[in-house]
Amino acid sequence: MHELSIAVSIVDAVCEELQRRGDPKLHAVHLTMGALSGIVKESLLFAFDAACEGTPLAGTRLVIDETAGEEFQVTALEIEA
Amino acid sequence: MTETRLIEVRRNVFKKNDLLARELRARFHNAGTRVISLVSSPGSGKTAFLERTLSELRDRFRVAALVGDLATDNDAARLARTQVPVKQITTGTVCHLDAEMVQRALEDWTLDDLDFLFIENVGNLVCPSSYDLGEDLRAVLMSVTEGEDKPRKYPTIFNSADVAIITKSDLAEAVEFDRAAARASIESVRPGMKVIEVSARTGAGMSDWLAEICHVD
Repeated sequence: MHELSIAVSIVDAVCEELQRRGDPKLHAVHLTMGALSGIVKESLLFAFDAACEGTPLAGTRLVIDETAGEEFQVTALEIEA
Repeated sequence: MTETRLIEVRRNVFKKNDLLARELRARFHNAGTRVISLVSSPGSGKTAFLERTLSELRDRFRVAALVGDLATDNDAARLARTQVPVKQITTGTVCHLDAEMVQRALEDWTLDDLDFLFIENVGNLVCPSSYDLGEDLRAVLMSVTEGEDKPRKYPTIFNSADVAIITKSDLAEAVEFDRAAARASIESVRPGMKVIEVSARTGAGMSDWLAEICHVD
């Protein structure tokens, strides 16, 4: 239900990371999502695209790795080599 | 095709809220304020339960409440009848309270003046589970009218809470509430969880609840 605000948090966190690393061109964000995190994958994918619009993340893919636990974190950024 | 490479970041998305909640918890602790939050689905009786709790505590302790809803200050107006300080947090379209909303609501309150602060979350069994508010104790409410298997359907919120309150116990018989099934459902998602049955209308079980929140300190 609150996937949009979570997507916005992801975008904010990724923007910060990119800035710290000299603004590389981003292709994808990799995320680990536990089954107990209370977040719905499909809603998050939908919200992510909306949250990226008008930001440096526009057009970025979100790759979600589902696990059994409670964790919910951005694990890696796929950038242009 | 463009060559890409992966860089590892390991960044918790809820980090901002978690850090803020940690700050709030330290502030509450330093001020000697015990903070209790209530979560449940809409209509399970959070406000009636809180109204009764505030009334029972107000003569012995300095108490106050924050109450979250998407819109209206109906609950705050209702709780204000208990004559304790109450503030409504309206979230707009947001389905939960977060630590920042709590922090903002507390800006013009002095915590040192409070023994207890209650936070009634937005009625929702899903989203509030992800947001730490800095509280000492989180109580999840389920009423006898909403089905014994709620905990199995919404395990995350029951897992995020410290104590389960079964409300509206005065209606249990009328709705053929299966007490054993409800307790088994809670036990299956959170083994050993403390369960207290109450009726805000008759006051049954309220002493168990008050003992639970007053025994620490």
